[in-house]
Amino acid sequence: MLAVKELTKTYPSGVRALKGVTLEVPAGMFGLLGPNGAGKTTLMKIAATLLEPDSGGVEIDGVDLIAHKKSARRMLGYLPQEFGLYPTLTAEQTLHYLAKLKGVLDDKERRALIEALLERVNLSSARAQKVGGFSGGMRQRLGIAQALIGQPRMIIVDEPTAGLDPEERVRFHNLLSEIAGENTVVILSTHIVSDVSNLCGRMAIIRQGEIIASCTPREAMGRITGAIWEATLPREKVLALKKSRLRIVSSQMFEGRVRVRAYSKDERPGEEFSPALPSLEDYYFSVAGQPESAN
Amino acid sequence: MRSPTRTAFGAIFRNEVLLNSKRVAPYAMAALFGGNALLWWGWGPAASRGLATNSDHFIAEMMPVFSFMTLPLFTAVIMGDPVIRDFRAGVTPLIFSKPVGRATYLLGKFFGNFFVLVCCQLVFPLTFFLFQWVPKSGLLVQPPRVLPYFKHFLILIVVTHLVLAAVYFTVGTLTRNAKIVYGLAVSFYPLYISYQTLLLRSLPTRWRIALDPLLMNLSLNARGRSAEFLNQLAVSYDSDVLANRAAMILAAGLFLTFLYVRFSMVERVRKEEDDGRLTTIDLRPDRVVSGVESSSFDRPAQVEEVIRGERVAIPKVGTASEGVGASLEQLTAALGIELRLLSAERGLVVLVPTATLLCVAGLAYFEAVPGETHTAAYAARTAESVLLFLAAIAVFFTGEATARDRELRVEPVLWSAPAPNFVLLLSKFSATLLLCVAFSLVVGLAAIALQIFRGHTPFEISAYLKAYSLILIPSIVFLTAAAVALNVLLRDKYVAYAMSFAVGGALLYLFNNGYNHWLYNPVLYGLWTPADLTDAASNQTLIITHRIYCLAMASLLLSLAHLCFERKSTKGLRSQGRLSGAGWSLLIMSLSTVTAVITGLMINV
Repeated sequence: MLAVKELTKTYPSGVRALKGVTLEVPAGMFGLLGPNGAGKTTLMKIAATLLEPDSGGVEIDGVDLIAHKKSARRMLGYLPQEFGLYPTLTAEQTLHYLAKLKGVLDDKERRALIEALLERVNLSSARAQKVGGFSGGMRQRLGIAQALIGQPRMIIVDEPTAGLDPEERVRFHNLLSEIAGENTVVILSTHIVSDVSNLCGRMAIIRQGEIIASCTPREAMGRITGAIWEATLPREKVLALKKSRLRIVSSQMFEGRVRVRAYSKDERPGEEFSPALPSLEDYYFSVAGQPESAN
Repeated sequence: MRSPTRTAFGAIFRNEVLLNSKRVAPYAMAALFGGNALLWWGWGPAASRGLATNSDHFIAEMMPVFSFMTLPLFTAVIMGDPVIRDFRAGVTPLIFSKPVGRATYLLGKFFGNFFVLVCCQLVFPLTFFLFQWVPKSGLLVQPPRVLPYFKHFLILIVVTHLVLAAVYFTVGTLTRNAKIVYGLAVSFYPLYISYQTLLLRSLPTRWRIALDPLLMNLSLNARGRSAEFLNQLAVSYDSDVLANRAAMILAAGLFLTFLYVRFSMVERVRKEEDDGRLTTIDLRPDRVVSGVESSSFDRPAQVEEVIRGERVAIPKVGTASEGVGASLEQLTAALGIELRLLSAERGLVVLVPTATLLCVAGLAYFEAVPGETHTAAYAARTAESVLLFLAAIAVFFTGEATARDRELRVEPVLWSAPAPNFVLLLSKFSATLLLCVAFSLVVGLAAIALQIFRGHTPFEISAYLKAYSLILIPSIVFLTAAAVALNVLLRDKYVAYAMSFAVGGALLYLFNNGYNHWLYNPVLYGLWTPADLTDAASNQTLIITHRIYCLAMASLLLSLAHLCFERKSTKGLRSQGRLSGAGWSLLIMSLSTVTAVITGLMINV
């Protein structure tokens, strides 16, 4: 289990990226949701031993990641949000190199491992191609393969599905679900709510460097059941609604009118509104703040 | 009528100038050409031959030589990859989706970069022009003049390099491979010399001028004339020269036309994009994830086939990242990768062959001083001639190697692996070191071959071994270690280059002005003679002590780099009951300091 305790981080520019984050992440898939700039990547970088926090601690199964980085790196698989690869190396050479750095030194074992990884991410036929000629999706798949080297106990994937087509995205999700088991923590940092609702047993929402919710997706949905209302209204009326005390969780332009979803626990917000099935996105917007509205 | 600056051509032209203004190469070239002009002005052939440094004849005589020396290589650096850069940066879809024609795009690119090239080359005649007003004893100067500098520059350099630029630009754009352009630039010299020797030499003078793209055979009516006559000579170009220049401009036009016809703005289809299997991923689902309807996508038949197959299990593997054996194996792997990456560096294709060519050319015309043994003289000359290039190679390629991981954004992936910091640092250090050693060995072998070819025998291998083991190798180790430390401490390769250039230049200036001491001269510049390479050498103990001092300094610098490396792995000097990386760094730094102090005292005594 991963335990994050009172983690703070302020960048030299003065930006307070984390303000005392405390979080418990059990084995299995864990979704970390938050808007851009919320502090997700900072938290991921600290957990991946690439960034020093100002204070606080991170432990995995009792091992202090801040004090014992080398030990932590042995149990870590990391797929950063933005990463590069040596363009002149082939996919196979890249994986061999990273596997050696990971400590997979037995030639026979390493060859078998790389063979299997390339097969799993469907890069077998591109194994001898230089990475510089790879498409975005292929690079991402190679990134996934390198994160799986050496049976990591904790896999951190930061915005992993950017650049993947829908089919690859689904399959990538399935691979992550398979890996996340009794002994493996997989942290999926994303701002795509559906990724979390599809995959994660537990989730947390981070906003402006603070954890504002931590629960299961089912619990999250339970908290808003019966409180979500939907209406399609003219734009002027929506502007008027926004000035009222009604909590609008999302609004979207649809055929010249605005489809509004609102949160109201106790009463129907208006005659135009009808009850709607809640989604995790409603919960996210109601907690993390309103999305960009159509005005 | 619209102003040309407001057209698409003008925009592309200006953008190229802007992009080049943010590169180091144009400034480095301008500085080099200025330095070259300074050398030829003060210490060049004019003084020894009694020619006025601003005479029409001397100016015209210098230009083709300047044009020949290294300019074809520099022309390739500027003109080879403007379009390749666009494709590499992925800007082409943005540009090609605008209403910009092929001709506008290509001409904007070509002339934008050619303008930058000409500006860099212009530093050479400008420096000469300005030095008309700088007095120096032993130099003859006529009343200041303006026109000859720019007239000869235009006729003899700009037109020549217009053709070369067109060739490089065409080849680079069509092949989209800068290495081919650099290879072409390097092979220019053997090709041109062969052309001169095998074809032009046998032709009458008129044809030799007409068919020479660099106009190296231009005699300017100077054969057998006195310096007084040449100083008064007004150079004019006859119809042969003008026809040659017109043909050159026409040839440039033909190359650009060929490029226009062959160039396509359509994205090239990559091999992998043709392969249907590669657009899918073999992360075969046991279940379809709810919320995303994967079945709604049309899959090719072979994908369906793959889905029905067995999933490949990821095997469990043993990992070992502790202990000397594991670290050495990781270091070997990292060194292999660094060497592979180094061999793909574009600078390598230009810098190392040029350096080798210049060193070997220097050795080919070298005459031993009477009293020295031939081998000692050759070995000493080899060591002296490669030292400056070794400094440049060590600084440049160490900078590239240390900055590469950050520039390519590989750092997050590499740094999250459990490899110790010394593996990452020493692999870069060792790769550059091996490159420098390989370069100096090539020059050494060429020197041995030349010595034997010229019949300067007897040949004694011991002198070469001493030159390498005592002079060159320890100097290379120090230079590379210093470059690693600078790059780690400054965290910016360009600042490190500037710092190295400033410190190296200042030290060289001090050494040449007599402020030379063993304690602050780690490469032994000017502190040894060919006699030190013979069996009768009396200075060898001092040299050996100095080399230990130099290696201790190198070790100190490497430990410092390790201690200050941005990636942190442990806190404190001990970790899990053993010395941590920082602990080892401090221990080695202490031992190196003690060794350096002891050997330094011995040298000073």
